[in-house]
Amino acid sequence: MRLLVIEDDATLRESLTRKLGESGFAVEQAADGKEGLYFALEYPVDLAIIDLGLPEMSGLDIIREARKQGKTYPILILTARDRWEDKVDGLSAGADDYVVKPFHFEEVSARVAALLRRSGGWASSEMTAGPVTLDLSRQELRVDGEPIELTSFEYKIIEYLMVRAGQVISKAELTDRLYDQDFERDSNVIEVFIGRLRKKMDPENAIKPIETLRGRGYRFALERNQSG
Amino acid sequence: MQSLSSRLLVSVSVLLLVFFGATIAVLDTAFTEAGEQARRDILDGHLVALLAAAEPDDGDELALPERLREPRFQSIGSGLYAELRDAADMVMWRSYSALGLEIPAGVRPELGNHLFARESLEDGTPLLTLSLAVQWEFPDGSLKPYVFKVAESLDSFNAQVAGFRRQLFGWFAAVAVTMVIAFSMLLRGLLKPLRQIEAEITEIEEGSRVSLSGAFPTELRGVARNMNLLIDSERARSDRYRYTLDNLAHSLKTPLAAMRALLNDQQVEGFSGRFDEQIERMDEIVRYQLRKPSASVADNLVLQAVKVEQEVARLVDGLRKVYHDKRPEFEVNIEPGMQFRGDTGDFLELAGNLLDNACKWSASRVRLAVVPSVGARAIASGMVLTVSDDGPGIPQEAADALLQRGMRLDESTPGHGIGLAVVKDIARSYGGRLSINRSQELGGAEITVSIPPITSANSA
Repeated sequence: MRLLVIEDDATLRESLTRKLGESGFAVEQAADGKEGLYFALEYPVDLAIIDLGLPEMSGLDIIREARKQGKTYPILILTARDRWEDKVDGLSAGADDYVVKPFHFEEVSARVAALLRRSGGWASSEMTAGPVTLDLSRQELRVDGEPIELTSFEYKIIEYLMVRAGQVISKAELTDRLYDQDFERDSNVIEVFIGRLRKKMDPENAIKPIETLRGRGYRFALERNQSG
Repeated sequence: MQSLSSRLLVSVSVLLLVFFGATIAVLDTAFTEAGEQARRDILDGHLVALLAAAEPDDGDELALPERLREPRFQSIGSGLYAELRDAADMVMWRSYSALGLEIPAGVRPELGNHLFARESLEDGTPLLTLSLAVQWEFPDGSLKPYVFKVAESLDSFNAQVAGFRRQLFGWFAAVAVTMVIAFSMLLRGLLKPLRQIEAEITEIEEGSRVSLSGAFPTELRGVARNMNLLIDSERARSDRYRYTLDNLAHSLKTPLAAMRALLNDQQVEGFSGRFDEQIERMDEIVRYQLRKPSASVADNLVLQAVKVEQEVARLVDGLRKVYHDKRPEFEVNIEPGMQFRGDTGDFLELAGNLLDNACKWSASRVRLAVVPSVGARAIASGMVLTVSDDGPGIPQEAADALLQRGMRLDESTPGHGIGLAVVKDIARSYGGRLSINRSQELGGAEITVSIPPITSANSA
């Protein structure tokens, strides 16, 4: 998942970027409103965290512009202003949730997880499709109730695919979203990871959770048990 | 043109100028016309005397005696002249006074007619002339046309008019100057209360006076009273700021001290959690102070009309996003066209906090109702805002504590955070109340904020 963090306070921005990175997200960061808007419009983004009080261009304007340009990814606003007037302004502009400063990182990460899940159409943080269950809050994958050991990269792939269950995801998109920008890209790596995932989740090749569409990409193929 | 008195003075001067100008013009015209009429009558008299003195001479011509009764015809250059011309316009006779002067022939009147004219001598002296053309019947029965002409120099008349004008202007100028002086003195007297207010305000600014004295004329008493109200509320506001700052500083000191103690002893069990707890407390204190009402209603000299339906709709839309997973069912019931007189931010704070708490605690239903409350002499209606949910409700003890003792931060109702404390403060700043009950229908908490109507009494 590729996240965009627009925050002018360097300490806060770097801490957020680092911790979100540790949680397995690829994170782009922008320090002012203009740069932020550029990223928000031009980069592949799955979720944006936007501070309302930014230099150059306000967070509200970025949100409005992004929505006007048809960007539908979830937006979480950070605000130092706790009055409802400010929160309502942000939500009306097109944001989906807010976190008031100062905050605990866990709060932000929980909101991010919820928003991502929501944007994939899942109603709860436990996503179940057939025998496969992904618990976003615990970052745990279970098949038939049995937890599966995954490396962080394997987890990122299955999370990305499963949140978008039913959609075809190209190899390029996966590389794009899962690596940090300046990471070395090699699409063969994705094939290797998908292969390993299949082996771990479905050693008998019975449930076939991940489907390969030649030349197009991959798709999480199991039917959702519940959808939002 | 900044000062009132100079404006008044200039307008009065312009008025005086116009009025006196018109008066002078009318008087001058009247005087000149009357004077000229008198001259014409005199000329007419001289002409009649001339006709009476005319006799046919030995031949067949008309002649006038050497000396006439009027002495001014006898002295050279007296200003009164007479002549007689025959049919060929030849001068038959000229009075002694016109010796050496050439009286212009002028226009010959029709036979039997008088003709007044303004003419002038060769040296430019203006003349008023009267000519009469007659057909003289001689004893032998023959008729001959003659023109009798009398002329009077207008020099003396013009001098008289000029003198009159000088006097007129002199007097009017004197009157005008007197009036302007009198008026500006009057103005000083009239504007004295304004200058007094100005001086008193300066004294208030300097701190040597507390409020305006109130010893002002009726027209200014209202201004002075409002000014005093403004000064009072400004003073109350600054008192409140001082109090708030004082409060804030003191309430932040305790957690700071605790943090310092913790830092000195980092080995203490659960260090980061306890440190965090203190930060949390400081944050709550700051948030509470920031979210307090922007001002008390008495300070809000201009109240906005907040469109309740519209603002609630924005809130509900926002909360639907925030509580996307919970999907509380909102039942909103607002009197159509309902307006809240106050600050938009305050209204959003009231409704936002109550709705947020209700969403947080509800099982699935959140209800909001807003109705106006109207009282006698109300110039703007009040508001009764009720938010209820189907959650566990607020324990009676906590509700009582919040309502009775007044809110202290370290005692904020757990779970309802600082929201209710803020709501209570805002309600109170509008002279309203907060009540916490159990919802009859939904079974959870029911919180009602009643804001009284604004009456002319408490707005004055």
